[in-house]
Amino acid sequence: MGEGTRWTPYLEKMGELIGQLKPAALAAWEGQDLTVLQDIKGSQITGGCRAYHAEKIEKIGLGSLAPGDNARYGFCTIVPGEKYDLPLFLSRWEEREQEITILVDIMPTVDSLVDEAYRKKYIESVQPLWDRFASLPGICPEESDVIRSLCSIIYTAARIPIEKEGMRLAALAPHTEYLKSYLAFIPDALPVEGDAKRNEIEKKKKALRKTLRTDFFKEIMPDSVRQSLGQKHLDLMSTVFF
Amino acid sequence: MAKVAWNDMVAFEKVLVEDYRLFEGLDLVPLETYEGMDTRPAWEFKAPMATGFYKPYLIKGSDKIEKITIGELHYMGRAKYCALNMTVSDAYDLPIFACEFDETAPRVGITTDFMPTVDMAQHGEYRERYYKNLAGLWRKYRTIPGFVREGRCLVQRRYGPWPWARETLSPFSLDGRVEEREDRQTVVEAVVSYAREWLDLLKKAEPIKDPAYKQEMLRRKRAMQKYYRELDPGGEVMKKIFGEGKHHLFVSLVF
Repeated sequence: MGEGTRWTPYLEKMGELIGQLKPAALAAWEGQDLTVLQDIKGSQITGGCRAYHAEKIEKIGLGSLAPGDNARYGFCTIVPGEKYDLPLFLSRWEEREQEITILVDIMPTVDSLVDEAYRKKYIESVQPLWDRFASLPGICPEESDVIRSLCSIIYTAARIPIEKEGMRLAALAPHTEYLKSYLAFIPDALPVEGDAKRNEIEKKKKALRKTLRTDFFKEIMPDSVRQSLGQKHLDLMSTVFF
Repeated sequence: MAKVAWNDMVAFEKVLVEDYRLFEGLDLVPLETYEGMDTRPAWEFKAPMATGFYKPYLIKGSDKIEKITIGELHYMGRAKYCALNMTVSDAYDLPIFACEFDETAPRVGITTDFMPTVDMAQHGEYRERYYKNLAGLWRKYRTIPGFVREGRCLVQRRYGPWPWARETLSPFSLDGRVEEREDRQTVVEAVVSYAREWLDLLKKAEPIKDPAYKQEMLRRKRAMQKYYRELDPGGEVMKKIFGEGKHHLFVSLVF
């Protein structure tokens, strides 16, 4: 980045909001040591990713990567606890000097075409934000077909040209605002009643996580960045975030 | 912005069927009864404010089709509301081909898509099976001026006010408002390309084997049909034209 340009405090701002959940750090998951990712110091890439647990939430992933001086990646995900119908939260940040690429979504854990009540509760209630950010410069469909096919009807994706420095904070706003909306769902979330609904949610959540674990980083990070990270770190990142 | 005179507007059915020969090699036969309704009043109609047709077909010798409807509603010499819908019978899970092509002097409002009959986020193999080739067409046509304006992609924005309608769209819908005459022609080309891809998939389609999957698919298909037949704002226009109750035949043929 050129002199006088500062990276956007994505990690700090998302971390502040996540702090409201009083998260407890997770050192391991499914037998895997996650602490390896806390401080990544490679010759070509640095950063850190952490997983947390919170009430009603199975896992929160939060982290950033710096592959050299020209780009910063940020990720924040929330996977709800198995008893709850809460959606998944997904935020992806890719910052460069001239452009910031974003994706933020609240992914339904049911078929939200069929389940109208769910859609009204978790998706349509966020529609005002979707409408608000429709005028964001660079608004566009998420480029990855795989990721786009998982997204809800209110996802926001953009490749925002940085014509002036204020645009960096404008690019951050969808992430913080969607996250605030998501956090507001948590206090009222109740355990799902009925086996059929529980099974439906479990099935969908499993499918979402499987695709995200397999494809997310492959779809959104170039080969060079993935090679710098190495397969072991990539696998662990999929575990931390999904 | 170029305004297009009534006589120069796209003759939707003629262009698709005669100029592009969309259904060449398929023996289309009129579908006379649909869901217990006599469809013949829709084949050609004249109402005080509108004239037009909705012609539903089956493919002779094929059990794969529920209906193929092509229609045009000409409204007071000012607007043409055109549609092409291709829906497979309940034994198959092929997406619903849907195209709305609404032309007025200043613009064409267009949405064309393969609407998935299962939740694609849950069934990744469905995307692989039915959208692999469509992805290339989507990338080819999504930059038609009007789909992208001032760097802002209008994908999924035309249905913005109706969340239920956005839910029915796939991640490969073409959707927007197109003004220039030559761009309107490119839109027609896009519709034909999408329709040809769908007809290719139809040839290869196999009946569903898993009863639980079929049940899940039918639940979603019925929900989509219910939404469009009951809530589509176009249905309100049809109510005014054909009268409450009678409009049901028309909305059922369109979707």
